[in-house]
Amino acid sequence: MKKSSLAIVALAFAFSTESIARDQIKIVGSSTVYPFATVVAERFGKTSGFKTPVIESTGSGGGLKLFCKGLGTEHPDITNASRRIKSKEVKKCSENGVTDITEIKVGFDGIAMANAKSGPMLELSLKDIYLALAKDVPADPEGNTVKPNPYKMWNEVNPALPAAPIVVIGPPPTSGTRDAFNELAIERGCKKFPGRKALKKKDKKLYKSQCRSVREDGPYVEAGENDNLIIEKLVADPGALGVFGYSFLDQNRDKVKAAKVDGVFPEFEAISSGKYPVSRSLFFYIKNAHASVIPGIKEYVREFTSSKAIGSDGYLVSKGLIPLGESERAQFEKDGKTLAKFDAKVLK
Amino acid sequence: MGFWSFFFILVVLGLSVHWYATNKALKLNAKLEKGSKLPSLPSYYGTYSLLLIIFPTSSLLLLWLVGKPFILEYILLQNIPEQLSANFDGAPSMLVDSIKAVDLERIFPGTNPLIVESATYFKDLNNYSNSFAYFSILIVAFLSSYFSLKKISTTFKARQAVEKSNINLLIFSSTIAIITTIGIIFSLIFEALRFFDEIPFFDFLFGLSWSPQTAIREGQIASQGVFGAIPIFSGTLLITLIAMSVAIPVGLLSAVYLSEYATPKVRQTFKPILEILAGVPTVVYGFFAAITVGPFFKDLANYSGFNIASESAIAAGGVMGIMIIPFISSLSDDVISAVPKSLRDASYAMGATKSETVKKIILPAALPGIIGAILLAVSRAIGETMIVVMAAGIAANLTANPFEAVTTVTVQIVTLLIGDQEFDSAKTLAAFALGITLFVATLFLNLLALKIVSKYRERYE
Amino acid sequence: MNNLKKIEYSLKKRKRQESRFKIYGLLGITSAVTFLCIILSSIFMEGKKAFLSTYIKLEVYFDPDIIYTDNDQKEEDIKFANFQKIIKNSLNSFFPEISDKGELRKLSNFISSSEEENLMRLVLENKQLIGQKVTLWLLASSKIDVINKNPDMELIAEEDRLISNLELNWLNEIRSANNIESNFNKNFFVKADSTEPEQAGIWGSLVGSFFTLFVTLILSFPIAVAAGVFLEELAPKNKFTDFIEVNINNLAAVPSIIFGLLGLAIFLNVMHLPRSAPIVGGMVLALMTLPTIIIATRASLKAVPPSIREAAIGLGATKFQTVTHHVLPLSLPGILTGTIIGMSQALGESAPLLMIGMVAFIVDVPGSFLDSSTVLPVQIYLWKSTAARGFVELTAAGVMVLLSFLILMNGLAVYIRQKFEKKW
Repeated sequence: MKKSSLAIVALAFAFSTESIARDQIKIVGSSTVYPFATVVAERFGKTSGFKTPVIESTGSGGGLKLFCKGLGTEHPDITNASRRIKSKEVKKCSENGVTDITEIKVGFDGIAMANAKSGPMLELSLKDIYLALAKDVPADPEGNTVKPNPYKMWNEVNPALPAAPIVVIGPPPTSGTRDAFNELAIERGCKKFPGRKALKKKDKKLYKSQCRSVREDGPYVEAGENDNLIIEKLVADPGALGVFGYSFLDQNRDKVKAAKVDGVFPEFEAISSGKYPVSRSLFFYIKNAHASVIPGIKEYVREFTSSKAIGSDGYLVSKGLIPLGESERAQFEKDGKTLAKFDAKVLK
Repeated sequence: MGFWSFFFILVVLGLSVHWYATNKALKLNAKLEKGSKLPSLPSYYGTYSLLLIIFPTSSLLLLWLVGKPFILEYILLQNIPEQLSANFDGAPSMLVDSIKAVDLERIFPGTNPLIVESATYFKDLNNYSNSFAYFSILIVAFLSSYFSLKKISTTFKARQAVEKSNINLLIFSSTIAIITTIGIIFSLIFEALRFFDEIPFFDFLFGLSWSPQTAIREGQIASQGVFGAIPIFSGTLLITLIAMSVAIPVGLLSAVYLSEYATPKVRQTFKPILEILAGVPTVVYGFFAAITVGPFFKDLANYSGFNIASESAIAAGGVMGIMIIPFISSLSDDVISAVPKSLRDASYAMGATKSETVKKIILPAALPGIIGAILLAVSRAIGETMIVVMAAGIAANLTANPFEAVTTVTVQIVTLLIGDQEFDSAKTLAAFALGITLFVATLFLNLLALKIVSKYRERYE
Repeated sequence: MNNLKKIEYSLKKRKRQESRFKIYGLLGITSAVTFLCIILSSIFMEGKKAFLSTYIKLEVYFDPDIIYTDNDQKEEDIKFANFQKIIKNSLNSFFPEISDKGELRKLSNFISSSEEENLMRLVLENKQLIGQKVTLWLLASSKIDVINKNPDMELIAEEDRLISNLELNWLNEIRSANNIESNFNKNFFVKADSTEPEQAGIWGSLVGSFFTLFVTLILSFPIAVAAGVFLEELAPKNKFTDFIEVNINNLAAVPSIIFGLLGLAIFLNVMHLPRSAPIVGGMVLALMTLPTIIIATRASLKAVPPSIREAAIGLGATKFQTVTHHVLPLSLPGILTGTIIGMSQALGESAPLLMIGMVAFIVDVPGSFLDSSTVLPVQIYLWKSTAARGFVELTAAGVMVLLSFLILMNGLAVYIRQKFEKKW
């Protein structure tokens, strides 16, 4: 009978946890921003006296999906993204009552294509990437009609490339890196064909679906939301090429080496100056309704936007982040302090 | 009435009733003559009264805690303002969730005032109904203690009643095992059925390709997930096979040596050492496989001129084999020792050597038991998680080459479920489909093995 | 004669076979033991390095211009001051010839970022330091630490090494000035997880393990003992008890990850208990250890000789009294031994905990049963999955801590068995 009374206590204990107030920031989102956000969160937790935020790496798309689910303690307060929010997502957010959000840009990141150190040195053009990875490729040199992608070897795409099978390991659709890669590399390669470019004016929807879809017949392998895994696979298979952020490349210089894209290596200067073609901005979004309720959100944003974190000499820069210009950073620091409302009109 | 004041009153009531009943029985006993004392010791009357408070209150409380959410949600749904439910696009249950999520101490600015109103209503409802429930439970407790105190008399056998209820408690504790099994089956089956709504059962069981990534956003262009589990099953089997080819010879030979050849002193030192091997956590084996064994095989292959993955099946399987050695050796040691001495003596009397006795008499006699042990070990290998998560691959390759990376059922379950909290896509539900396959397979192996072993025991007992 | 030869020949063959077989057996057992030795020694060789960390001696100038950004000298300013710059400047004063911005950034990466926080606290406690120069031993960053501990890494080619030749030259300069030393790694025992290997510690996950195991013990011990007593002593032999027994035996062999799925589906999704919390982990592990303790309870009840029971019943005790007053106390040492062994299994278990979110990156040491936390074996798994080189040693050291706890617990079990268990 002592046992049953004990069981009652345990049960009561378990059920009384139903509505416990949350005093910890909850962050979800991009795996590219994740390593930066954890560093900021850790420093923030140690110096500010607030609890250290809990960060989960769900991918940009997955993060925004969770973020837009609504207001309330069970929903995340901040989501990281390695691409900008889409107007569809803004709509979804406001449907669920999340109307007041703030956008903070933290820096740039290049999308690198890299292979193992023991693999061959590659020089790719955007056109090569498009032809190797798109679902449909032009059937004629002008690009007026399309056929399913028949290429299996790199030298079929471009005779200058080695006669090796096309194997590209990249992120899944939940990832912002994937979205950015589709738009920045594949679509731009697609545009090199005049027939495709002409299609954009005629039928935008068809153009998007044909110029942005990645092949599903094997050469493009989707890895999970885990960049370490891509590195492991590249080391195991020197013939394979991986797609991931520059910051991750920087951390793994001892294992992989980058390919040139349009004649440029993904290097710090080349990305920050915009010479490297496949580069995008990194963001995070704050749910402003939460900022007055969950303790520490404003202070976390202050830490993340401070010059000591993302300024040109900031600690995130030594982790591989490519910093914004000083005036732009100052602007976002101000936005973060005032929690300026994001205007969806800037999205096309 | 809050929970803790309710709890406090209950405890005070219980203690005083116990004290009162014991005293009443003592007084009653003092009055009675020697031959006609109460049928049970006085303290049993106290315990009986106490139990009569604990059982009804705890079961009512449990009933209330389980039923409360449903009742309250129903009442809430009936009372949501028209305006709110009309303007809400989602299902009513989503509306209820969003009302329940409102923390009235800290309301998020921008929350719909109607929702706040409903949340206030819900909170009041919750408080009132809780107080009401606690109050009624207390009344029941008072009534039942009145009833139990009334019952104390020379004809009432308190000890029997107490023992009976205690035994019922013990029976309930034993049924936890059954409840757990049922819980496992239900938790797996519901999600797995949702998965099979989307993916046909046979496509899952016999499909040759596994690529669980699916589009996440409406209108996003991405591949359709493919859920053919054959590559996963074949990977699991390959790794299990490698593990068994390490564990069976080493484990069996160790068992034979320890039970037939070793002096008692050697036996006493080596048996515990084998048990240490069994006590090492699997995460340690996984670390060893990933850091030491995987690179070792890779270097070996590089040295002899070909290239293999560092997450090769052989690294994970080999280390898993080491983990399973003590499992096989201790189980086979038991069955070998159970072979009657008379069989051995007969064999020696015919002039057979020790090895001939082992090979021709003991092993055949112990074979069913050994097979049972091996089956249990196989079931263990199939379900082993950490070693393969840390040292085997994630990509589903359909191959029989032990130097390539393969994936297993457990690895897939872990990769599908870590980080994702949404149970709305085939991707996460697939983990439960894999889980139930794993459960059924191991259940079958376990039951078979247990049956074989118990049959074998009967033969020599 | 011919026959005799044949027999002699076959006897020799059989004897050879006999000794060969014996060697096989010996080979089996020695290979098992060798595996164990290889595992333990490889972990020890790797892990022992993690117990030391590297410190660099620097003369730190607490520049008031850096600490106070404006004229009203508030405490708030100290909190948000750029101590990285202070460290960078003190490094620069040791290497005055470096002026390139990129090189300076590399140089400032020599010192662990945790020192910024430490310096901040130092200044907060003692504001007189502002404007002064102090000589301090500062914790080196992980990559310097790794190179310093593994001198053979200096020999590998530059592009495969953690630090460039330039950085190596700086390190050698610091060495020749005797400004570097190895000391006990205190962080490892007092801190929780971190993104930087030199700041990560085992304490957070140890506390998490403690909370989790406490819940496991409270739930599984009473239920398992009750079930064991019922099945061994009181149960009638019928279909129902047979069914219970089959269930228990089967549960003992169900893969642990299945229990994790159960926890995810029922405790998290149906009961809405918090993710990553020790209370849920403890409940899942309790279900898993139940069969172990039940089986141990039954075994030790069985070991109590029937004469005890007969004597009690002969004196008029009921069956229930016999068990609770006599048999159970006598078998308690055996039950406790089984419980400790079950707990040590639970301590080493990680797969089911991955399913209920106890794999999060957690920097704070958990303070209650409901805080997000992780446990020792999962921390090992997390460190292993991190790419940075410094975590390899930490992982091995974590394994050493885990193993020493297991040895401690099993030693306790053996002690209880030998000290209290009665031989009948």
